[in-house]
Amino acid sequence: MSRTFRIYEKKRGDRRTGSGAIAGLGEAVFFGLFFLIGCVGLVAILAALIIPQWRANNEFVETTCVVRAKTLAETRGDDGLLYRPEITIEYRVDGMPRQSTGYDICGTYSNDRDAQLAALDQFDVGGQYRCWYDPLDPEKVALVRGYSAWTWLLLIVPGSFLLIGGVGFVYRAWHWGKSAERRSATGASPIRLRPGHAEANGRSAFPAIPSPGDITNSPGTTLQFRLPTRRSDATRLVLVVGVCLCWNAVAAVLVVDVVHRFVSGKPNWLETAVVAPLALAGLGLIYASFRQLLIATGIGPTLLEISDHPLHPSGKYEVFLSQAGRLRFKSIKLSLVATEEVRYRQGTDTRTESRCVCQKSLFQRDHFEINSHEPLEARCDLELPPETMHSFKSANNSLEWSLVVDGKVAGWPDYQRAFPVVIYPGKPEEAAR
Amino acid sequence: MNEPMVVIRFDGNGRVYLPGDILSGEYRLESFTFGQIRAVEISVLWFTEGKGDEDMAVHEFQRLSADDGDWIDPSRPGRFSVVLPNSPLSYDGALLKIRWCVRVRVFPRKGKQVVGQRVFTLGMNYCSASAG
Repeated sequence: MSRTFRIYEKKRGDRRTGSGAIAGLGEAVFFGLFFLIGCVGLVAILAALIIPQWRANNEFVETTCVVRAKTLAETRGDDGLLYRPEITIEYRVDGMPRQSTGYDICGTYSNDRDAQLAALDQFDVGGQYRCWYDPLDPEKVALVRGYSAWTWLLLIVPGSFLLIGGVGFVYRAWHWGKSAERRSATGASPIRLRPGHAEANGRSAFPAIPSPGDITNSPGTTLQFRLPTRRSDATRLVLVVGVCLCWNAVAAVLVVDVVHRFVSGKPNWLETAVVAPLALAGLGLIYASFRQLLIATGIGPTLLEISDHPLHPSGKYEVFLSQAGRLRFKSIKLSLVATEEVRYRQGTDTRTESRCVCQKSLFQRDHFEINSHEPLEARCDLELPPETMHSFKSANNSLEWSLVVDGKVAGWPDYQRAFPVVIYPGKPEEAAR
Repeated sequence: MNEPMVVIRFDGNGRVYLPGDILSGEYRLESFTFGQIRAVEISVLWFTEGKGDEDMAVHEFQRLSADDGDWIDPSRPGRFSVVLPNSPLSYDGALLKIRWCVRVRVFPRKGKQVVGQRVFTLGMNYCSASAG
């Protein structure tokens, strides 16, 4: 029975159990309303502010006037009192005397009382000044002209509504009644799944396989290519330290407050219970930062070179490993690792999960020392079995291959450095053809 | 009266193909009447299954639209033929699966779309256990 009334229910990601047509219509109406609000706002600003200012600057007739009275008008706004100058003037239109009250053409109020008083003080009762009147309605007068900057800034509000609503509506309307396959085939889909290297005709020779360009642009000194790391130690250090600083800055404020309450003899146990795990997490981040600092500064660079790239099933390759530093290793291990990584949405959260699905050991050495003059240098063979799955990358799913160095060093934190490689399908000789 | 449905058949009844192979076959639109169909879309595509959000990409797409003057006769089977690409190959992983299929989507003038799909294997259907 509940299934009958399930009109629009989100399960996970883009999968829905309800009517796609109703969902699309709902989104179109939503964006259409946004666009409509933007239109109304734009028209209101144009009519109330921009067009009157333009007319005062371009169409109003200039004349002279005599100030008969002046006052600072007040009105109550949402944030308190607002002010504007009101000046009563006498002027002539086609030889006929007229009297009107005004200042600028929009008659806008401001909460800056001093500025409005200063504007008022520029006019003396009985003095003669230039003024401009509307030839269509001579009662409308302006003693000052020009465009105010905030009027143009105000256009950002309806402009945002127009942009979001317009783009959303056009996107929805464009997709209306089109199948997912048609959207994907015509390239009008939000699903962008051609990350491989594009051929001249726009279609990749190996669709959904990442380009090896970033990996093969660095020549090696021993073998053909030097592989880049997935994320350098310095980058990781900056990230960890950044998170640590932000977290602990917030935690410190809370801890100070808790301590202050204890010192003043009014402890807040609920607050203490909430802040304690935050402070512990902060300590953990400090430990992680120091650990990363040790790895980045104390453990020398790891270099990995390979005889050919991209890799192919049944292919035989040579790998060269170099580990610098002044360290006493418990062990160092080089492995070929495949990791599946998927991203999925649950409600408003986007989650990522990864799993190692294959690990093949290529080289291992235990209990040895290296010094700054004699880094570890080792060569090993890498032979891919014919049934090896190729690398894969799409918007939400990927299978990534990498060569991973795991090091265990006496007196230092364990470290891991990964060097991505790309595996293409087919045998090497087929790829060469 | 039977429910309208789409039946897809591959030539040679093959289900495993290699990159560069020609995938050909036919589709039958059953229990449809002449003039009832507004459009038919034939796609050869891959999609992902598993824990992640679904990704898909169309390798070959053809749309027949009666409104655009295409002749759609449900009493006669339609044919398709396509050279299969180098990748992605079919895969059965732990979190991720890659499937290939021929999908035929029928847009009747009235009522819901009818979709028929037949999965095939591109490559040797790798699985995570044989990933390395």
